[in-house]
Amino acid sequence: MTFTTLPQTILSPSTHEFSGIIHRLEAGGSMLPDTPENLMQIIGIYKAYAVPMDFYWRDLLYIAEHVFLNPLPAFKYFLPQEYLDLHNHYAGDDADLRIWRGEATVHPELLEFIEKGELKQKLPKLFHHLSHDRVNMEFAEACMRAMFWHRGMGGQFDPYLDTDEYKANADRAIRAYFQGNPVMLGLYKMFPDMFLEQVRELSYYANLGLFWEVMAPVFFEMSDLYDEGKLTTVPEAMNFLVNGIFAIAGRPIYHHVYIRGECYEIIPKSKGFMWLYEAALPYVEAVFYRTSPFRGTKSYNAQAKQVPGEQDDFHYGILYADVFPVGSAGIPPTLLMQDMLHFLPPYLLDYYKQYCRGDDDLLIQLGISFQRSMYNVTSAVIQALRTALLYPLDDPNPKHLMANRQFFEMQIDRFKRPEARLRDIQRQDYR
Amino acid sequence: MADIVDIAVSAEGFKTLVTAVQVANLVETLKGPGPFTVFAPTDDAFAKLPPGTVQTLVQNTPQLARILTFHVVAGKWMKADLEKVDSVISIEGSPIRIDTSDGFEVKNATVIAADIEADNGVIHVLDRVILMG
Repeated sequence: MTFTTLPQTILSPSTHEFSGIIHRLEAGGSMLPDTPENLMQIIGIYKAYAVPMDFYWRDLLYIAEHVFLNPLPAFKYFLPQEYLDLHNHYAGDDADLRIWRGEATVHPELLEFIEKGELKQKLPKLFHHLSHDRVNMEFAEACMRAMFWHRGMGGQFDPYLDTDEYKANADRAIRAYFQGNPVMLGLYKMFPDMFLEQVRELSYYANLGLFWEVMAPVFFEMSDLYDEGKLTTVPEAMNFLVNGIFAIAGRPIYHHVYIRGECYEIIPKSKGFMWLYEAALPYVEAVFYRTSPFRGTKSYNAQAKQVPGEQDDFHYGILYADVFPVGSAGIPPTLLMQDMLHFLPPYLLDYYKQYCRGDDDLLIQLGISFQRSMYNVTSAVIQALRTALLYPLDDPNPKHLMANRQFFEMQIDRFKRPEARLRDIQRQDYR
Repeated sequence: MADIVDIAVSAEGFKTLVTAVQVANLVETLKGPGPFTVFAPTDDAFAKLPPGTVQTLVQNTPQLARILTFHVVAGKWMKADLEKVDSVISIEGSPIRIDTSDGFEVKNATVIAADIEADNGVIHVLDRVILMG
């Protein structure tokens, strides 16, 4: 793939603090510099992330559709066989749109891990769970809760949760779920909003599950293409993501609940909610940019004013995170790093062994690769938005190119704050 | 004169749009009294979308209908009327930016044929599919 330097010849150079990165975006590049080392790191991490993600999306949907309002959901992380066999809509022979050429059912490496765990021994599921030899599903729930708590980040999904139509749908499902249970029905009568809010949260479980159902096959396919030698540069990896975002943009986002074999449509597909607007963009805003301050790095003391008063100003997502304390108390991404550790491709393990403290600080090294890879995903989102809402990079009209530039500058402005890691990922020795 | 759907069917270059409108069950709506202003992307405009986009939308009709209703505005807005405003609200609910300062642009698309009158409204032809956001 070749990129012309046309924009620079028409527009004068940008005066932005990150002008080099702006010019790279204008030439069709990524925020992450295009080096073979960066490509290897991000693809290896996509693979290592996709395997636990295959568990996350299945379990999120299982909780939203079957566990539902169980007041004691002690076994919500125990996936039943039907959810291991559930066909991903974007993999396998019967896919709606085949992205990954592999199987539609659970990934074999994940299945092996569920059965044998780190101990490499077949033991009852409960034993693996209690000895914490398992997928850290709490991380997926933390992402869901970030989306649920930040709310109002665009799209029509969130406003719908406050409509009478939604409340009526939820009411029907709540009554059906607690049918024959006078205690819970009595509680529902007394505190209806308590239950309604739980259902809203469950709708976000469904939302995030449907979001990740798409990302897992995208990452698997990228890893396979890299192994086959068909992905050779960082911009190619980014463009694969851009095309993936467009291809799936129109998949429906919904929330169905199954009670005694009957399907209750809390959010029906016919509402027209779409993957791009109702799941992907809110996810990126909530999880990549905002989330919530790590308990281990910020004081929630109201007088200390370390935590912003406005949710818009939250900047605790992976694009800003300090990865060095990963593995210590109060650093939530540790859960994900631990999950990815089990599924690293051999080339990445060998790579980490050569640097820093080798085997001893794997979690931190892979955490930093993860940060690089998410800067590349965010670049794909920015390029996709530019493609959808603005103009092609080789547009001959200078006014159009200026509009593109202003859009890129506005996006990069968010990384001016000192916590942002955009500067760091430009250096190869940031590891 | 013919209505909006008839004009699109009889004109060259709107095959994808007409099929999409049929799949999304919007034929009856667009044959209704209206009046409507329709920003109609050509086949070339649909072809500019990355591969897979149209396929996913055709599989999911409510989502397809939402994208299509973003191309429709209530009322009959001729080019001369649109020159007086900065944006109009689509039937989908999101605003569409209008720029007539230099040519005739609708959001990030350019109008390649304006003011095609129908019984129940007017059609402006776009060189690109426009998207909400």
